[in-house]
Amino acid sequence: MVFSLRNHEKIAIEALYDMYSAALFGVISRIVVDTAIAEDVLQETFVKIWHSFSSYSTEKGRLFTWMVNIARNLAIDKIRSKDFKNQNKNQELENTVNSIDEQRSTVYKPELMGVKDLVDTLKPEQKSIIDLVYFKGYTHVEAADELGVPLGTIKTRLRMGIQQLRKHFN
Amino acid sequence: MEDIRAYIETGILELYVLGDVTPDEKLQVEEMAKKHPTVKAELDEIERSLELYAQENAVEPSENLRSRVMGSILTNLGDDNNFPEKPQPVNHKLVELTARKENNFYKYAFAASLALLIASTIALVSVYSRLQQSTNQLEAIQLQNQHFSNRVNLMDRELGIFRDPSFKLLKLQGTAKTPASVVMLAFSPSKKKVMIDMGNVKLPENDKDHQYQLWALVGGKPVDLGVFDAKNDSTGMKEMKSIALADAFAVTLEPKGGSVHPTMDQMMVLGKF
Repeated sequence: MVFSLRNHEKIAIEALYDMYSAALFGVISRIVVDTAIAEDVLQETFVKIWHSFSSYSTEKGRLFTWMVNIARNLAIDKIRSKDFKNQNKNQELENTVNSIDEQRSTVYKPELMGVKDLVDTLKPEQKSIIDLVYFKGYTHVEAADELGVPLGTIKTRLRMGIQQLRKHFN
Repeated sequence: MEDIRAYIETGILELYVLGDVTPDEKLQVEEMAKKHPTVKAELDEIERSLELYAQENAVEPSENLRSRVMGSILTNLGDDNNFPEKPQPVNHKLVELTARKENNFYKYAFAASLALLIASTIALVSVYSRLQQSTNQLEAIQLQNQHFSNRVNLMDRELGIFRDPSFKLLKLQGTAKTPASVVMLAFSPSKKKVMIDMGNVKLPENDKDHQYQLWALVGGKPVDLGVFDAKNDSTGMKEMKSIALADAFAVTLEPKGGSVHPTMDQMMVLGKF
């Protein structure tokens, strides 16, 4: 698959989309709450994957890791871009206070996270740090600020949480 | 081995997978993964679990997004197929260079033409003015030439007169009124010609209302032979009216155009054969 992608074969990118679009959209739509904008970001993500595929190498790690980093970076770029901020400002003028809070995508809201059957597996503090960094695009430094815990603790929790996930999936 | 364990325990690998490391740390992790299969395996496990976690939290995008995404990608794919990746930039560059060269060529050609035009105009004007000058000079020379040929003709005729044995030269002497006056005259009875040598006329200059008139005396009667002006700078021979016979010649000062009868008290010179 990596080979056919490198050769720019249409069927490969279609297969890639079918396999990973939902997982990538899961990450994007948690960072960019607005569905239409999130879909734009997903489109940009696949165009970028298509064009910069030559820079991916299997030695560096799994394909999905590479793709999810592209998606996360594009999503973060989007919410930090002027357009997006202006749009939010306009909405602030038009809409109620309630909806502003929902649009404020950088504010951590556990209820927006995809909480599935992992609730039992992960301790809440592990889950929140994984979600912040993995799904919200926080750096671990920002996450430490947000959660009000020391940097070392963040790192430990992150590691523990991911080990928990490993156990769960194995 | 303990070191590697400790390295893994720091949690740097998790941050690496999450893309939350500095470029230096990134290189370091990649180095470690290359050297130690344990690190590589650990990384792989972390990636795998996070990937599965993402799959668990997947959100399906809307149905029509798939065709939109494919459309935007395949538009580019079409372009890629039409223009093979490598030759395209090369061709493009070549075309651009050629176009630029052509542009430059026309620019320079235009400038050169303009300069040439200006130079030609200047040259043309200068040549034209020289031509004009030459034409003027030529005209002047022709005029001079004609003048000389006229003079030569005249002198030829004068010489002819002096050479011609039929011509008699007569010196008309001043009368008592103007004793200093002299008029030289040539007369050929056989050719019936009377000429005054204008270079040898010594008469007071006449005003513009008067002219000198030459008379021939034939059998005591005066015959009009025409009028002439006496000027200091006059030269050549002036041919007067023809006559076959004359006993004497006289010049009187008459009103302009001459008179039918000579005014005797205005007789300036007189000469007899």
